[in-house]
Amino acid sequence: MTVPHDPIMTASPEEQVVEAREALRDRMKRRAVWVGEHFRREWQLYVLLAPTIIWFILFLYKPMYGLQIAFKDYSVFRGIQGSPWVGLEHFQTLFGSDQFQRALSNTIKLSALSLLVGFPAPIILALMFNEILNQTYKKTAQTIVYLPHFISSVIIAGIIITAFSPSAGIVNTVLGWFGLEPIYFLIKPEWFRPIFIGSGIWQEAGFSSIVFLAAIAGVNPSLYESAVVDGASRWQMMWKITIPSILPTIIIMLIIRIGNLLEVSFEMIILLYQPATYSTADVVNTYIYRNGLQGGQYDLAAAAGFFNAVMAFILVMTANTISKRYSRTSLW
Amino acid sequence: MSGVRLDGIVKKYGALQVVHGVDLDVSPGEFVVLVGPSGCGKSTTLRMIAGLEEISGGAATIDGRVVNRVAPKDRDVAMVFQNYALYPHLNVADNIAFGLRIRKESKEAIAKSVEEVAGILGLTPYLDRRPADLSGGQRQRVAMGRAIVRRPKVFLFDEPLSNLDAKLRTQMRAEIKRLHNRLGATSIYVTHDQVEAMTLADRIVVMSDGRIEQIGTPMDLFNNPVNTFVAGFIGSPPMNQFEAIVESDGDGPTARLGETVIRLPKLKELEQANGRKVTVGIRPEHVLLHPADGTTPVPVDVDLVETLGSEALLHMHVGEMPFVVKAETQGDVSHLHAVRTLHFQDDLIKVFDGDTGRAYGLPSVA
Amino acid sequence: MRKLTIAAFAMATTGLTAPAFAEGHSSKISEKPLELTIHLHHKRSIGYDENWPVEKAACAATNICLTDATVGANSTNSGEAMNLLLATGKIPDIVGSARVKETTDEYGPQGAFMPLNDLIEEHAPNIRAAFEKVPGLKSAITSADGNIYYLPYTPDGKYGRAFWIRTDWLDKLGLEVPQTVEEYEAALRAFKTQDPNGNGMADEVPYFARQWEELIRLVTLWGGRSSGSDTYHDFYVEDGVIKHPYAEVGYREGIKNLARWYEEGLIDLEIFTRGSSSREYLLSENLGGATHDWFASTGGYNRLADTIEGFEFKAMAPPANVNGDRIEEHRRIPVKPDGWAMGAGNQHPVETIKYFDYWFGGEGRTLANFGVEGEQYDLVDGKPTFKKEFLEAGPVNAQLWAIGGQLQARGYYMDYEYEKQWTNEFALEGIALYDAGDYLIDQFLGVALNEAEQKVIDKHFVQMRTYMLERQQAWILGNGDVEAEWDDYIAQLEKMGLNDVLEVMNAAYQRQYN
Repeated sequence: MTVPHDPIMTASPEEQVVEAREALRDRMKRRAVWVGEHFRREWQLYVLLAPTIIWFILFLYKPMYGLQIAFKDYSVFRGIQGSPWVGLEHFQTLFGSDQFQRALSNTIKLSALSLLVGFPAPIILALMFNEILNQTYKKTAQTIVYLPHFISSVIIAGIIITAFSPSAGIVNTVLGWFGLEPIYFLIKPEWFRPIFIGSGIWQEAGFSSIVFLAAIAGVNPSLYESAVVDGASRWQMMWKITIPSILPTIIIMLIIRIGNLLEVSFEMIILLYQPATYSTADVVNTYIYRNGLQGGQYDLAAAAGFFNAVMAFILVMTANTISKRYSRTSLW
Repeated sequence: MSGVRLDGIVKKYGALQVVHGVDLDVSPGEFVVLVGPSGCGKSTTLRMIAGLEEISGGAATIDGRVVNRVAPKDRDVAMVFQNYALYPHLNVADNIAFGLRIRKESKEAIAKSVEEVAGILGLTPYLDRRPADLSGGQRQRVAMGRAIVRRPKVFLFDEPLSNLDAKLRTQMRAEIKRLHNRLGATSIYVTHDQVEAMTLADRIVVMSDGRIEQIGTPMDLFNNPVNTFVAGFIGSPPMNQFEAIVESDGDGPTARLGETVIRLPKLKELEQANGRKVTVGIRPEHVLLHPADGTTPVPVDVDLVETLGSEALLHMHVGEMPFVVKAETQGDVSHLHAVRTLHFQDDLIKVFDGDTGRAYGLPSVA
Repeated sequence: MRKLTIAAFAMATTGLTAPAFAEGHSSKISEKPLELTIHLHHKRSIGYDENWPVEKAACAATNICLTDATVGANSTNSGEAMNLLLATGKIPDIVGSARVKETTDEYGPQGAFMPLNDLIEEHAPNIRAAFEKVPGLKSAITSADGNIYYLPYTPDGKYGRAFWIRTDWLDKLGLEVPQTVEEYEAALRAFKTQDPNGNGMADEVPYFARQWEELIRLVTLWGGRSSGSDTYHDFYVEDGVIKHPYAEVGYREGIKNLARWYEEGLIDLEIFTRGSSSREYLLSENLGGATHDWFASTGGYNRLADTIEGFEFKAMAPPANVNGDRIEEHRRIPVKPDGWAMGAGNQHPVETIKYFDYWFGGEGRTLANFGVEGEQYDLVDGKPTFKKEFLEAGPVNAQLWAIGGQLQARGYYMDYEYEKQWTNEFALEGIALYDAGDYLIDQFLGVALNEAEQKVIDKHFVQMRTYMLERQQAWILGNGDVEAEWDDYIAQLEKMGLNDVLEVMNAAYQRQYN
């Protein structure tokens, strides 16, 4: 069909506005905004911003000053200023140690595994909740899976130790029903990762699903109605509508999670590990805890922390760039 | 080509009933517009036809088949939503192809159909854009493309133009009409805008409070509204209405408008209704500024003249009664400010029963 | 001064301690009342309380009163609190803390604390007397630069842990109290296989321990060592040379046999994870057979005889090891690293050292150990004796901590008499047994390292210890064979710097103790 005077082919006023706005946005970038005038006009906004900025300065930027102890022979008494520089000595100590390298490798393995298994868990949970139609049942189920999040690590560790105990633990009792010999899980290096990651999922998957549930709630319901009319099944709607719609949220959460890749929950590890399981359980943070903090070697701990931060920065930047290029979603 | 029939369709939410037995027969290829104020049940009715709402009572028939228990996808209908319902993560081509993909049609067939539909709607240059990068009008066209591409028996439109600005709405209206003329598919269109209804419809269904007030062609509704609701709803500006008592001066029924006595149409029913309370309706277009045969002069005070270009709206008083008149400007409005007398065309005056709101002079079967 | 007035008022109203001062006895250190600031941090007493009755009495007696200047009182970690204190740069007159030695050894030479040697020489007769009485005390508290920077909490009494066994089970199975490692093993095996608790199941746990390190302690039965002090995995001294127990052949033999015991089920399978409640649980469930634990608290479990028929859990002499020696490796360490020091900025060093001295002997020592006369104790035949109602009012130590007694962040000399008065009969019986046998061995009291030496230890020792413990557990659990791997293990330790560490430790030891 060719309509000679098709009005659609000429830009409508609305389209022109869209284009004009985009052009303006481009210009704004180049234009130097006179902050003083802006401040006078919009001072209320700056007041709202102030607490965040103060928080950042006090708790994030000011402590950066202390990072220099990573390059010093730090003495608490002499202070940061008074302690002598030692260059990269602490980094050499760290990387020269087999145990640190093992801890680094364990950290990466543990994190990567828990990312692989643990990251999809809350998403799947959220999708499952979304499919529950009975509201009472849904709310009860949600409360139950949120609960472990509010229990302290010490208690969780106690529960895990009891549950996996070879003499009285529920896990071994169940294994016993199938005629299996009890396994002393907590001293077997090969079991540490499954137990740690599994318990992590048990503790956090429910609570982490909240953000995905919120994202699902934000999906326009008419998308589903339209799909229903088009003949999509629930399964197809989940794959073709829900998941793509919450994909930006998923990616943002993934980038954040990747940034924290080196930050495994070390309180939990300290509570659960044994010398017998160091070979899989010892991570950078527990290594630092034993070598740095327990021994008062703050400079060494700072060096490791510095290394962690640099790695995290690189990881976030990389993940963000990849995401920006391939999915159009990014943190900034 | 297939028709749609509704037999006493009812929708209840628990104890709350929102649609009270709607009967409607849409012929194959017909363009029917459901119009009414918000909350009148028109969208609910449409959604029951689509299968998005369960039908609580009565029967819906598409192409001779009762579809009450038929899944939406098997009704062979396509629906266009008010907020477009485009998938933000898919580009235009994929949005249009969505329904076909769900139905697992072959890649070649899908590509061909998408191309064709994009051509029809002028979307070809935008096929790889995402909805976020489109204007409102373009999005609406994609939404329609998604419906068209499936070649359904019935098109359902749920206020598709209400998110657009006025000018674009006019353009799109024409576009929809052209599309219908071209495709000839049975279409049911819901809107609250009576102008849209008048311009698009083969037949209009006026609804109010979950009931049908009147079904008819646009001109039918304009000329012969069955009650005060339809009279007030159809036409812009709306029909002037005022209360009066039917009197008689021997030459026919009359009524008093302020100090003035006006003549009512010479209908048998009216002649027998001497002394009854009625609502008298006069469309703004049915008043002359100069005397003619069969007119009655009425003195007025003009408060305000709204210029529309070739026409103007005169806001005035007849006695205490506010009154609006549409008049031609003939390039100048100064003379309209000077209007002191109106001339009512007796035959075009509508009279409705004061209690029931029902129009006098309807054919007895209606 | 307001606080003084309140203290004086309190004294006057109680009218109990007043007579001691009425005699004009010369505990008074300062003519004019003197206030000193104190940082006091120990998990038993976080922060200083001027209203502790013990402190009020001391204040009235010495005319020196302390005011609280504790930093980090919101943490239970004394080390953290100490670092916070040092980071403020303002060190109070007195700094008392758990493990204060580590701090004074490091920061004393840097000038944070006052050297006390000359002050002690001139003004502290009680402390000098303690130096005479406790061998190694003076050396143990001397820093690498030859100065003394802190005065320790100095425990009294010798005994800590002992071997305990269910003697009623032995009787039931017709066994004698084991006298050798072979007999000990046979008894444990009998516990495992002959159902001494009579429930028809082999659920007995022959050897258990609240701290898994007490399992490692058993290597002494094969001529090994597990530690030289009351700190686990510590160095030990043999013939004037410092060694690490986990690099010695006796340890290998011990681990080899413990692995065998573990495999056989003579040792609690869950010993590494059961944790601190295992003694309570296994004894009260009538499952546990033997352990190695503290005299006083373990003897107390004989109260279970009320619920478990015939229950009797008694101390036994250490079984003779494979060389025929009976060794009890654990004892109460004579010098603790806890105690107090004098800040370098203290304006009244003489008064302060006299105040420190006050707690080391006579009236002050009694006050620190027993509390206030007439309140917590009475003098019976000239000896402080706890009141009956006080002993019955609840755990004695907790009560004393609550009034400022037995503060382990204070440098004072403990008096074992205080503990003996509330030690149960089973513990006393055991102590008598150990006294008769003389099983204790000398303790390694620790060395003070200079900065260069400390660096060597920091660099190597923690990692080395990690490796040692990993292998230790693995061997016991049967992941690897200690005999087959021993040479590689020693080679790895040497690669990790064992020889450097021992060299540094020995150098420091020679400097400090010879």
